[in-house]
Amino acid sequence: MRYLMMQMATGQAPDEKLFAEMGKFIEEMTAAGVLLATGGLDPAGTRVTSEGDEITVTDGPFTEAKESVGGFALVEVQSKEEAVELARRFRRIVGDGESRIHQVFG
Amino acid sequence: MTDVRRTVDAVWKLESANLVGGLTRLVRDVGLAEELAQDALVAALEQWPSSGVPDNPAAWLMTTAKRRAIDHLRRTERLERRHEQLARELAQPRDVEHDDVLRLMFLSCHPVLATEQRVALTLRLVGGLSAAEIARAFLTTEQQVAQRIAAAKQTLAGVPIELPEGAAVAERLSSVLGVVYLIFNEGYSATAGDDLMRPGLCQEALRLGRLLAELAPDEAEVHGLVALMEIQASRAAARTGPRGEPVQLHEQDRGRWDPLLIRRGFTAMLRARDLGGPPGPYVLQAAIAVCHAQARTAADTDWRRIAVLYDALVRLLPTPIVRLNRAVAVGRAHGPAAGLALADELLADRALRDYHLLPSVRGDLLAELGRNAEARVEFARAATLAKNAAERDFLLRRADELGPVAPVATLGRAAADFLARDDLDASTLRSYGQTLRRLCLALGDRRPLESLTGDDVTGVFEVAWGDAAAKTWNRHRSAVRSFGAWAGRPELGDGLERRAESRSRVPGLADDQLSRLWTVEAPVRERTLWRLLHESAAGVRPVLSLNVEDLDLAERRARAGARWVTWRSGTARLLPELLGGRTRGPLFLADRRPGPARMRPAADLCPDTGRGRLSYERAEYLFKQATRALDPAGRGFTLRQLWSARGA
Repeated sequence: MRYLMMQMATGQAPDEKLFAEMGKFIEEMTAAGVLLATGGLDPAGTRVTSEGDEITVTDGPFTEAKESVGGFALVEVQSKEEAVELARRFRRIVGDGESRIHQVFG
Repeated sequence: MTDVRRTVDAVWKLESANLVGGLTRLVRDVGLAEELAQDALVAALEQWPSSGVPDNPAAWLMTTAKRRAIDHLRRTERLERRHEQLARELAQPRDVEHDDVLRLMFLSCHPVLATEQRVALTLRLVGGLSAAEIARAFLTTEQQVAQRIAAAKQTLAGVPIELPEGAAVAERLSSVLGVVYLIFNEGYSATAGDDLMRPGLCQEALRLGRLLAELAPDEAEVHGLVALMEIQASRAAARTGPRGEPVQLHEQDRGRWDPLLIRRGFTAMLRARDLGGPPGPYVLQAAIAVCHAQARTAADTDWRRIAVLYDALVRLLPTPIVRLNRAVAVGRAHGPAAGLALADELLADRALRDYHLLPSVRGDLLAELGRNAEARVEFARAATLAKNAAERDFLLRRADELGPVAPVATLGRAAADFLARDDLDASTLRSYGQTLRRLCLALGDRRPLESLTGDDVTGVFEVAWGDAAAKTWNRHRSAVRSFGAWAGRPELGDGLERRAESRSRVPGLADDQLSRLWTVEAPVRERTLWRLLHESAAGVRPVLSLNVEDLDLAERRARAGARWVTWRSGTARLLPELLGGRTRGPLFLADRRPGPARMRPAADLCPDTGRGRLSYERAEYLFKQATRALDPAGRGFTLRQLWSARGA
């Protein structure tokens, strides 16, 4: 089963220590054979909306920063509990904030 | 409670390899290490529901397991100062060494173990799967898996746990890679059952491969294997159609191939290529997979390049399967006639005798050449041989697509009618049945009887019984002649010469074969039996009939019925280990207790363990398996040869 783990942006830039710990965590997940892909996301982003025939493209940043995704990891594990366990470890590293886990179908 | 149970399961799955690997280094016994890890798991299940899941569950499990290790060592006093050292290490929060898991993989894939033991143990120790999960994946019973694992751990008890060095690394690594790929293949092309794939196994193999790529990053073949598995796995969704039928590579919807896995495969391939050196078998197979993945449509496939890669692969790995795949590639690159010529060469290979893909490939090539009637017979034959329901249906449909069935008498029908006669006694019927079943399997039971020639029959005989004893050959020969006479085709058996049934003595083993035999890694029971047979002048049966209480260890002799069996130092050295403190019962014990349905006389059972006496057949089989590599003909030796080598 694949799960997409997304962490919501906090608006704070990560410091060097966090970078190092994240690097170690990613290495660990890679070595465990569960991490398929990972990346950080530009907090600004671009919004594309459609209404009827009208398509609107708006460049960020947007006001509700907490709703935007700061990074993601795609993991392949045998159960939801494993994904949750990985998320738990991740949260312990990054401190306060929020992550979301979605199972990826297909 | 259930939530904690599931969290514990998840932690176990992620951490068991580290845990068991680290403990193995500390206690130097993989069986004990796993027991300790399991104990810690049980403790977690007991404590976490009330205390809550600890912040770092992995470290908690490791600490708990180490405490138990110290208790255990203190209790058994096996190693005096070992527990003090352990106690010191206990102070460090987490000390999984980089090599722990790698060492564990080398151990669980150790060449002293039988292949199915390696697979079970790897999934158990490195994959963290339970015996029930492994049994489900391999369609066997939990008990059987548990036995395999127990036997494997017992064998490993005396094996040093150090990582191999120098030239041994490549050899041992190839055993590890072989096991991982075997697991992958079992998942990818489920050999039996109703499903074509068991995704859980594929995923587990991929996980093991990715893990190995981090542990042994400098080995090109590791990355080759990972690339191969990633790319093959990328096609998983496209491999089956709506009805669960297999979709062949060139007919797959490439839009359903997983681009992420393909990209990961390419990346692994680049890592392999960057390491340089001549490409090994996995790198070559991965290169072939890359060729397929790079083609945007099936028609774009660079078959010439694939054929060249197969030429190289066949030199490294001349297995029948690789040769068969090469025939397919050559068929695409240079036309069906060229492919068919290569496929036909394989008809005489007994390894492919019952392999459904050979007739299936020949069916494809024949159909391309417009030889539909022959293709039809081949597909029907492939369907008979296929063990997988989805595949069988698919092959039958392919046969049916090649035009209507002409109302002809088929081999299968004729054989059934022949055997349905009521003037044959049971044993003749059984014997004839064997012969005709083999003919039907090899030639296809839809094969029109009319088209059958004496050469066809002779060919089947050569492959099936070419090296069988003269007696066996003659028995099958008379069955065919009887069938031919009955069917009005007496010429079918014409190509079969009657073989002289001589009573010549089997040549004993040569000196160099003997000296190599003594270095074969085998369980102590086998080694003792072989030594004893060689050193005594007694036959196999008297030796197998020995009981522990018959032995006179000091005089190096034992009474077997009316005569004495005597031995020399080789046996004397091994006997105490084999006995292991037993004082009664059969000397050579079978691996297990006999099932309730097949009770045996009390004299053939070990009074302590309930295990049965080792049978001649089993002992012979094991010896044959063990000596395959020593026999130039590749068949393995018989115990009689060992015994008669004595005078040589």
